Amino acid sequence: AAKQKEDPSLPKAYVMSVFSHFAKTKVSRDVYPVLQEILDKYFERLVDDLEAYANHAKRKTIEKQDVELLLRRQGLVPDGVPVNVLIERYLPMEYRKLLIPVATSGNKVFPKHRR
Amino acid sequence: MLKKISRNNLKSILKKKPNVRFGANADLMVHLNLLLFLHRLAEESRAKAFEDKTATIKPLHVKAVSKNLLKKARG
Repeated sequence: AAKQKEDPSLPKAYVMSVFSHFAKTKVSRDVYPVLQEILDKYFERLVDDLEAYANHAKRKTIEKQDVELLLRRQGLVPDGVPVNVLIERYLPMEYRKLLIPVATSGNKVFPKHRR
Repeated sequence: MLKKISRNNLKSILKKKPNVRFGANADLMVHLNLLLFLHRLAEESRAKAFEDKTATIKPLHVKAVSKNLLKKARG
């Protein structure tokens, strides 16, 4: 049979493992459909918001700082805490390296620090 | 230890809108956002389950807190 084209969504195993990791209690198996529904709505809104931010800055590409603004507006970043702290807490090392400027040899900083 | 998700997978979800482009590493920030959102969702559902005096998180608990959380997640 031909592969059906469906809306891409996060893999079940991933969503459930992350959710139960944070929940720290037993999670009923039939929670997944509910979670998926929530995440669908969440992504829809997220993309809408980010698009609005980028348009506001007269850009067509969504940049890192747009998502940062969204994080702050959602109240996910507590006052006085830099986003880098959250990056360090939640993201695996290889992604951290890409997001947080690190001084490498020869006085070069990667990734390029904007400001 | 948290599982990893492939970047391509996340990107394909974000590409539902054809005219939106993501800059370098912006998808990783979205990933962070997603994790924080799930964290919040999980904690509130656990509190809700605790109110019900059950040790297991059931769909109704998640549903009950999701409405409020999605409201908070507005940008």
